[in-house]
Amino acid sequence: MSILETKELSHDFKGLWALRNVGLQVKEGERHAIIGPNGAGKTTLFNVITGTYVPSKGNVFFKGNDVTKAKPNEMVRLGMGRSFQITSTFSRLTAFENIRMAVLSKRGIRFNLFKQVDKMNDVTEETDAILKRINLDGERDIPASALSYGKSRSLEISMALATDPDIVMLDEPTAGMSRDETHTAVELVRRLTEGKTTVIIEHDMDVVFSLADRITVLHHGEILAVGTPGEIEKNQEVKDAYLGEMEV
Amino acid sequence: MMNKTTKWILWSVLLVFLIIYPLVFGIYYTNVFVTFAIAALYAVAIQMLLGFTGFLSFGHAMYFGVGAYGTAIALVHIKGLPLIVSVLFGFASALLLALVMAPLVVRLSVTAFAMIHMAFGMLAYTLALKLRNITGGEDGIGAFPIPPLRIPGVFSIDMTDPTNFYYFAMVILGVSIWILWFVTKTPFGCLMVGIRDNANRIDYLGFKLPQTKAVLYLLVGGFAGIAGSIFALFQNLISAMELYIMHSFIQIMQIMVGGIGSFFGPILGAGVFAVLEELTSRYTQRVELVIGLILILVIMYFPTGLIGMYHHFKTRFFTRQAD
Ligand SMILES: Nc1ncnc2c1ncn2[C@@H]1O[C@H](COP(=O)(O)OP(=O)(O)OP(=O)(O)O)[C@@H](O)[C@H]1O
Ligand SMILES: [Mg+2]
Repeated sequence: MSILETKELSHDFKGLWALRNVGLQVKEGERHAIIGPNGAGKTTLFNVITGTYVPSKGNVFFKGNDVTKAKPNEMVRLGMGRSFQITSTFSRLTAFENIRMAVLSKRGIRFNLFKQVDKMNDVTEETDAILKRINLDGERDIPASALSYGKSRSLEISMALATDPDIVMLDEPTAGMSRDETHTAVELVRRLTEGKTTVIIEHDMDVVFSLADRITVLHHGEILAVGTPGEIEKNQEVKDAYLGEMEV
Repeated sequence: MMNKTTKWILWSVLLVFLIIYPLVFGIYYTNVFVTFAIAALYAVAIQMLLGFTGFLSFGHAMYFGVGAYGTAIALVHIKGLPLIVSVLFGFASALLLALVMAPLVVRLSVTAFAMIHMAFGMLAYTLALKLRNITGGEDGIGAFPIPPLRIPGVFSIDMTDPTNFYYFAMVILGVSIWILWFVTKTPFGCLMVGIRDNANRIDYLGFKLPQTKAVLYLLVGGFAGIAGSIFALFQNLISAMELYIMHSFIQIMQIMVGGIGSFFGPILGAGVFAVLEELTSRYTQRVELVIGLILILVIMYFPTGLIGMYHHFKTRFFTRQAD
């Protein structure tokens, strides 16, 4: 049973079809990787699924509901979390305040004008617990803009997870990282997404093959292949279109 | 961090200061202080929008003005209207206007938001000039009855007495500022700064942006209206001039001089402006010129305002000690 499914999904940027008839299927509980060369349409696929754009054609189904036109905040309320390829935290707020924002949302505290947030001990405790889990307790009161790149990516990833979604969409969590940072980030992703349905865009093949249960390959906005890491590795079309290109 | 006792001592000192102020400084400076306090509430309300949430408006004088007209018109037409109810009329008028405006503005970009407020601000000014039989046009509405503050059979305090009015204004303005301060400390306050920093992420955390902005918008409009209402009672006069675009700019300048990110910055800014106006008007008619010059200096050398300047020197002082 697919928890997330797209049907004949197409998206048109004023004449440039960034997505064409994409039928993505993500099964409950799996880690599903999306790979493809630069400009293949991976981020656009995320944008259309998570509600940044309404697709030009086709439909998105989440937990059996048609969510084609749903806005980001509606998708989050339905149980979807997302991280961004380009870090998108609250730069002037501290690491603690960043995570707390997600914790408030998770607890449905959205329009409270009557209680001081510092006095909500359960919120503070949960936020601190998350910071500890992602090794940011040492940077608790540092503004997000002053964090090291690796740490700010950790913050980015955990913002997507802190609302405790049923599915989490990670757009290149290791983008721009050094080898060491990548290793740490991959371990973090592995730990945080254990048992949770995860869709992850990733360039690093080693990471993809070690993390993913299944892989979808995008190429020029179309799905080229779907399969287990073993199947994808052997697929000649993928080798020609993608793995070949990677070496150029 | 200040501990609890120091905080309580500071608040008590402030309270005592406010209580004895009119007794020490006399009627003239009491009135100067009321003018300052009205500007302070108005600036703090605008700061909620500008410094905390990141939305610049060139038209909030219309909320101040509608609050003032609401109170004045109610007092002209309703005989025996209690004082507090007349303030509520001002508050409700501004709130009503915000309620009408909110659906139009909450989905706008920062720039469009600023511009559309400029346009509506001008419109409000023109309407106040033209709708003579409601607003009194250029002459405005003046000499309306100022009711006493009273509970029938218990007490009745004459509000045309400047000292009495001072205490009344301080309570209303003080409580209003406190309410706005409290809001910045709530989860809603977190949302405000979140929108300022990264509205997209707020959306992607499951918060509804337009609705959140609408609640804030009502809050800001309503409290700007209360400032206007107290102004009308204080001057016993309200004219279209108060809706002129300059009265939307001044608060923004006060915020910039005081400190754009901080809650108390606008109060400081309003204070600086009050003192400057008081001092310069003794020597020259060109008060705006002096204020304009100071603003340019502040923006050039301390874009974070006086509060920023304070933090700057504090850090420098402490680093030097550490050397
Ligand atoms: N907002 C936009 N307006 C116009 N064209 C866009 C927009 N966003 C993306 N595109 C185009 O759509 C295509 C797909 O872009 P997308 O960002 O989805 O690729 P990607 O697979 O995520 O690439 P990368 O690996 O570099 O992140 C590209 O040709 C890109 O230039
Ligand atoms: Mg991308």
